[in-house]
Amino acid sequence: MADDDAPSDSSLLVIIVDTNPNQRYITEDPKVLTNCLDAVIAFANSHLMQKARNELAVIGCHFHKSEYLYPTPGKPLDVRQIDGQYELFTLVEKTIKMRLVNLIKSQPPEEKPGESLLAGAVAMALCFIAKFRREATPGLRITARILIVTGSSDTAAQYINYMNVFFTAQKQQVLIDVCSLDKHLSLLQQGCDITGGLYLKVPSLEGLLQYLLWVFLPETSERTKLVLPGRGRVDYRAACFCHRELLTIGYVCSVCLSVFCKFSPICTTCHTVFKIGGPLPIKPKKKKMKV
Amino acid sequence: MADDEQDTKEYRWETGYEKTWEAIKEDEDGLVEGLVAEFAQKAARKAVVPRRGPVRLGMMRHVLVAVDCSEAMNSQDLKPSRFLCTLKLLEKFIEEYFDQNPLSQLGLVLMKNKRAEKLTELSGNVRKHLKALQGLTDMALTGEPSLQNTLEFAGRVLKPLPAHASRELLVLFASLTTCDPGDINTTIQALKTEGIRCSVIGLAAEVRICKKLCQDTGGEYGVVLDDVHYRSLLLDSTSPPPRARALDAGLVKMGFPHSAPQTNQTDPGTNADPPITVCMCHLDDGEGVGGEGHLCPQCRSKYCSLPAQCRTCGLTLASAPHLARSYHHLFPVEPYEEVAYEGQAQYCFACLRNFTDIDKQVYRCGRCHEFYCWECESVVSTTLHVCPGCASRPHLYQRLPDSS
Amino acid sequence: MSESSKSKSSLNLNPSPTLQCKDLHEYLKSRSAQFLETLYNYPTICLAVYRELPELARHFVIRLLFVEQPVPQAVVTSWVSQTFAKEQAKACEALSELSVWQEAPIPGGMPGWMLAQSFKKNLKVALLGGGRAWSMSSSLEPDGKARDVAFLDAYALERWECVLHYMVGSAQTEGISADAVRILLHAGLMTRDAEDGSAVITRAGFQFLLLSTAKQVWLFLQHYLHTAEKRSLSAAECLAFLYQLSFSTLGKDYSTEGMSNNMLVFLQHLREFGLVYQRKRKAGRFYPTRLALNIAQVRGVGAAPLAAPAQARGYIVVETNYRVYAYTQTNLQVALLGLFTELMYRFPNLVVGVLTRESVRQALRGGITAEQIIHYLEQHSHPQMLKSETGGIRTSSMLPPTVVDQIKLWETERNRFTYTEGVVYNQFLSQADFVVLRDYAKQQGVLTWQNERSRTMVVTRHGHDDVKKFWKRYSKSS
Repeated sequence: MADDDAPSDSSLLVIIVDTNPNQRYITEDPKVLTNCLDAVIAFANSHLMQKARNELAVIGCHFHKSEYLYPTPGKPLDVRQIDGQYELFTLVEKTIKMRLVNLIKSQPPEEKPGESLLAGAVAMALCFIAKFRREATPGLRITARILIVTGSSDTAAQYINYMNVFFTAQKQQVLIDVCSLDKHLSLLQQGCDITGGLYLKVPSLEGLLQYLLWVFLPETSERTKLVLPGRGRVDYRAACFCHRELLTIGYVCSVCLSVFCKFSPICTTCHTVFKIGGPLPIKPKKKKMKV
Repeated sequence: MADDEQDTKEYRWETGYEKTWEAIKEDEDGLVEGLVAEFAQKAARKAVVPRRGPVRLGMMRHVLVAVDCSEAMNSQDLKPSRFLCTLKLLEKFIEEYFDQNPLSQLGLVLMKNKRAEKLTELSGNVRKHLKALQGLTDMALTGEPSLQNTLEFAGRVLKPLPAHASRELLVLFASLTTCDPGDINTTIQALKTEGIRCSVIGLAAEVRICKKLCQDTGGEYGVVLDDVHYRSLLLDSTSPPPRARALDAGLVKMGFPHSAPQTNQTDPGTNADPPITVCMCHLDDGEGVGGEGHLCPQCRSKYCSLPAQCRTCGLTLASAPHLARSYHHLFPVEPYEEVAYEGQAQYCFACLRNFTDIDKQVYRCGRCHEFYCWECESVVSTTLHVCPGCASRPHLYQRLPDSS
Repeated sequence: MSESSKSKSSLNLNPSPTLQCKDLHEYLKSRSAQFLETLYNYPTICLAVYRELPELARHFVIRLLFVEQPVPQAVVTSWVSQTFAKEQAKACEALSELSVWQEAPIPGGMPGWMLAQSFKKNLKVALLGGGRAWSMSSSLEPDGKARDVAFLDAYALERWECVLHYMVGSAQTEGISADAVRILLHAGLMTRDAEDGSAVITRAGFQFLLLSTAKQVWLFLQHYLHTAEKRSLSAAECLAFLYQLSFSTLGKDYSTEGMSNNMLVFLQHLREFGLVYQRKRKAGRFYPTRLALNIAQVRGVGAAPLAAPAQARGYIVVETNYRVYAYTQTNLQVALLGLFTELMYRFPNLVVGVLTRESVRQALRGGITAEQIIHYLEQHSHPQMLKSETGGIRTSSMLPPTVVDQIKLWETERNRFTYTEGVVYNQFLSQADFVVLRDYAKQQGVLTWQNERSRTMVVTRHGHDDVKKFWKRYSKSS
């Protein structure tokens, strides 16, 4: 794994773009999505511009499924320069735009958009990073990070999935950065804290590219050198399973570890019956030795 | 010379030569790359244990590890010596144990000179255990071990603990004899009634009394073949055992401290000027003075790292991610089914690797119907515990537990 | 007393200076500011220069890229945390040296930085689009006889090795063009032998052979560009085209439409060296090869080259018992190994050699340094050596530390003497004279060495005149 202090030879960036049409900033003004997408593509190209060996992957997260927008599985598009843009950047731009249009077109028309399933996209990204590390030439130092760009709020329904991917990312030394366009995302902020990434809520959408370039472009070894927004205080309280309220003191079922705010005789998740008499541990009675 | 009969009841020296080189065949181009990949896939598949469904696992475990420090540990059949090999593997074991069971506690015991000596207290502090282990490398190993004394010591330590947590003892036993003061069978019986689960890993040969101990208390007995096997046996015991029926389920009161703010409030339990306070977990060492830390919600004493057991009020302190680390045991990902590759998909859904002729088998998820390569399958089942396809489909991502 | 001739000066005894391989930055720094101005009109050069900037400098540039007004210098300094102030200064210096940014005053009087207009505009073009397409980008019909990557690799290797074989003098290859020979001579890698006028390899040439392929190509092209001025090829245009090639995609064909005659001539030269492949001279398309793409990789120290299974895959295994196993068949690589190892066995796919004191000393005598030998072995290490763990000893290189240290020791063995220039004074007539003169020299601080019994002393060169005058005065007065 890459040594944190030395600059790596190759840095892999996976960008997860939330394209769910029910995000508030899109429903308010549909044209804003194209601007944000352009900013993300320019940011992706800037990442590739940093070093010749940097690599990129982009995943589009729609409400019915998530798909790789770049690289295409199979043969890449045959792209020639039309203007002074570096050919690779033109390829990236065209591929992403084309596949995003396909992804949006493939959405089932009668389904109502649900929440953005970012945990699944992060899982895909982690598999991609694992494959990239396996197939790289031996001796090449690779760092990897994931950037999530989203305007949705996070819900507790994906809690277990989120936690699993955060711990996997921590084990594999992958940073997870989060750029929130609209709401405060406490769950994703926990993920940034666990993996060592950065969390930023963008104050205005016009300057999105500048925010991305200033905060998220430097890689791990460079982040220690630059002055970047610090971590706020992360709220690590658990939420009770019955009301979804944050607790400082809770009751935990010892079988399935679900958290409750008050004592109840049956655990609703694993249906274990608790001994009546409250949460006090019962000492086994001393048996007299039979002669 | 070659003996073609494959009579399985024979001893190994009777079956003649095992012509392992015949397993290697070159394909048309004279390359063995495809075969090497196949071997790797087979080995990976063998390593995957068939998954059980969501099982009720004993999440909060109190484990005592007893290390044999008798003369038998000087033997050099495990390099560099049994004792040093054990120490090195124990370090990995401890890290993996706390990784898998973040709310559990571990204690170390030495079986030295016919007595059982406590090395570290039962606690959740990884660094303390590792430091204690590192101090052992130069210890002289003499005398004989006493299994009964160790069992009694373990019984004494584990008995007062609450019944909802699983209580276990792991013995690393290299000697073939034991020197006991009384009848070991009564001790074994006592442990069985308490519900303390004893497992033994033997380093020399199978010993009957160890086998009886494990069978009676519901533990596992293994004898190592070499250091690789030793390592895998040790790491197997990091996974939580299926719960014994005797264990009581209970609701444990736990505190989830909010990060301590840098305020000016004086803390009556400490002896320093605010806002610098001494943290309770380092009270004996004298370190750990600082401003940051976690305050226990009940008694407001400060701890610098979680999880911890509050010394003042007895509340267990943890943070939400610690609980979540164990969730994958309870909500495991459904195993993928193995199908022969016949061109059903061009590339793996998760990592975009193209399927080539080398992939004889691909994996298919029963719920989202996507195809995965064998490397992604091993990543998903061992580390990730989330199926990428299911997690990104709106009707499949909920991880509700099945009724057990 | 007499003065003997001066002892050998320290300059001549060191081995010949090692080959300097400047990377793009140093090359550009050596050019004038106007040259840089013309260069920055090409988006490719801006992109190449950007990639070679130090880390912090790259972030400064990208942050300033979208800002129109000059930014106060204090603000730029505040971007970097205090502990890394040295790196920040270095980054600013690099940017100023390359004229990427200039000082510009801000309304209010504070000094500020602003990116050079041409650089900013063209870097934006390369990143976002706009502007004119580069010269080789016209669309082509699909090639009926398309060439795949493996063919291009083999072709490039074969052509480049022609040049190397010529240098080593192995007779088995076709000769190279007169142009190439002229470049080799100009670069000092070969000299004309006095007797029969044929070209003979020099010490610098040996060092050249041990460099990585990317560095060799880059060095070669640098000297080519030097001589290009004489042939009325604009160096800026050539450099721009070279970098366009390095940013192309391997395996894709590009059109020659729209290239000036000068550029077409340049293209033919590149074809000879193996940087591009063209089926015929008049063919309207060409394929860049891996050699061209690797030009941008010169800076990478110790990094594996662009993933090339056939060409750049390592083949040398070095064991702790000083044995060297090379899985190669090409004569050139065997010859290179023979420069510093003693070859023992040769099999159809394997060559076995031993690093002995004699063999390494022979190489050191030829001007090769220990660093170059170690670098060569590291460059071409077999992938297995990269993967194996070194049993707890974490070293920066994948070679066994015993071997690395021993090679360095053999090199320092040769440096047992330090040389200082001086003048010997001996054959004094009396002890008193000697003592007086010696004390005077010591007082002046120019005495290097003295021996009272043999009445000999050595004085530094520039102190000699002074001491001589003193002696004359003294002998006159006594």
